[in-house]
Amino acid sequence: MPSKEQIEKIVEMLTELKNTSELMMDLAYSSILLNNRELAEEVEQLEEHVDELHTEFELLVLSSGFKRQESKNFLGLIRIGVVTEKIADAAAEIAEVVLRQLEPHPVLKLVIEEAEETVLRIQVSENSSLVNKTMREARIPEKTGMWVLAIRRGNRWIRPKPHTRIHVGDILIAAGYAEGEEDLKQLATGKSPERR
Amino acid sequence: MSEFEKIEYKPRSVREILIEMKDISELMMDLAYSAALFNDYELAEEVLELESHVDTLAYQLNMSTMVATRDPEDAEALVGVLKVASSADKISDAAADIAMIVLRNIGVHPLVSEVFKKAEEGLVKATVHPNSILAGKRLSELELASKIGVDIIAIRRKKHWIINPKGRETIQKNDILIARGSHSGVDELKKLAEGTLQKLEEE
Repeated sequence: MPSKEQIEKIVEMLTELKNTSELMMDLAYSSILLNNRELAEEVEQLEEHVDELHTEFELLVLSSGFKRQESKNFLGLIRIGVVTEKIADAAAEIAEVVLRQLEPHPVLKLVIEEAEETVLRIQVSENSSLVNKTMREARIPEKTGMWVLAIRRGNRWIRPKPHTRIHVGDILIAAGYAEGEEDLKQLATGKSPERR
Repeated sequence: MSEFEKIEYKPRSVREILIEMKDISELMMDLAYSAALFNDYELAEEVLELESHVDTLAYQLNMSTMVATRDPEDAEALVGVLKVASSADKISDAAADIAMIVLRNIGVHPLVSEVFKKAEEGLVKATVHPNSILAGKRLSELELASKIGVDIIAIRRKKHWIINPKGRETIQKNDILIARGSHSGVDELKKLAEGTLQKLEEE
């Protein structure tokens, strides 16, 4: 029987694999939409991180000492881990397009813009109610239906965590339903009263 | 899957096909994770059907791209389109892998539900109670995506799944909804469906 500690670690690692692989897809499409090498490089780096994490995850599951009758269930877990790794690879492949070509075909930009989920890059202005709030306090997904994937501050990328504080001038890369785009623009620029 | 249909060239734009591939492959991941999370055999079968549809689209996209390529410049510009399409195809294959876990009765350890509670996006399955304010409403009038950050990705009605329901779809009592979105949003949707919450509270 795996220990409680091992189980917690398995959950934590699989959660990170799932979150990271999905973040990578969003960042990869964003890198094409914005023709942005830095985002594409971020995806490549994350891909290496996922490879390592995935190996660790498999080793952990294999060494957690489960019983014969439980082993089928653990196989399901391992397979989901493999899938997150495949998604990470697919994302890296998309990012490679940006890294190899200077200008993605205009058709790609149209595709990403017209798809149901969209990506938005927006700068936080000083009038915005987001300034000095943490990501948790800002409640952007609840207010706009969009998720902040990455924050560009000066010349570095920040992966937002609940306690990450938003600064004036931050550039938010956000993905979500197209309906939320206008809401997020208003929130970041502070140009219209905030909806309750 | 032993039957393969003959795939013929159809005059569709590269853009149109690629949009469909991207949307379906992303939807499939959520459907596949839902099938695993709720151990739903039929939903898993829907994922496999979508997978073979994406395969067909991939062939059509390759053909349309070939027809659109006239010179080396076109080839250089369009190779990226093919790479993106191949990634979307791989994602749909990955979703099918998850569906196969369900269909082969491999079973998913209960730990998986812990993973989904902690993941950034939540998934929920809820049955529409006759008292629910959702019953009888069109998806387009509910505006769930903009109001509570939730997207209904599938509806089970009697014996059929409606995958990626459109805005004109009307929710009926006893429908089973599968939705994804922020954790607070999917919790709210569950309460709305079960009738314990009688008003759509906008965030």
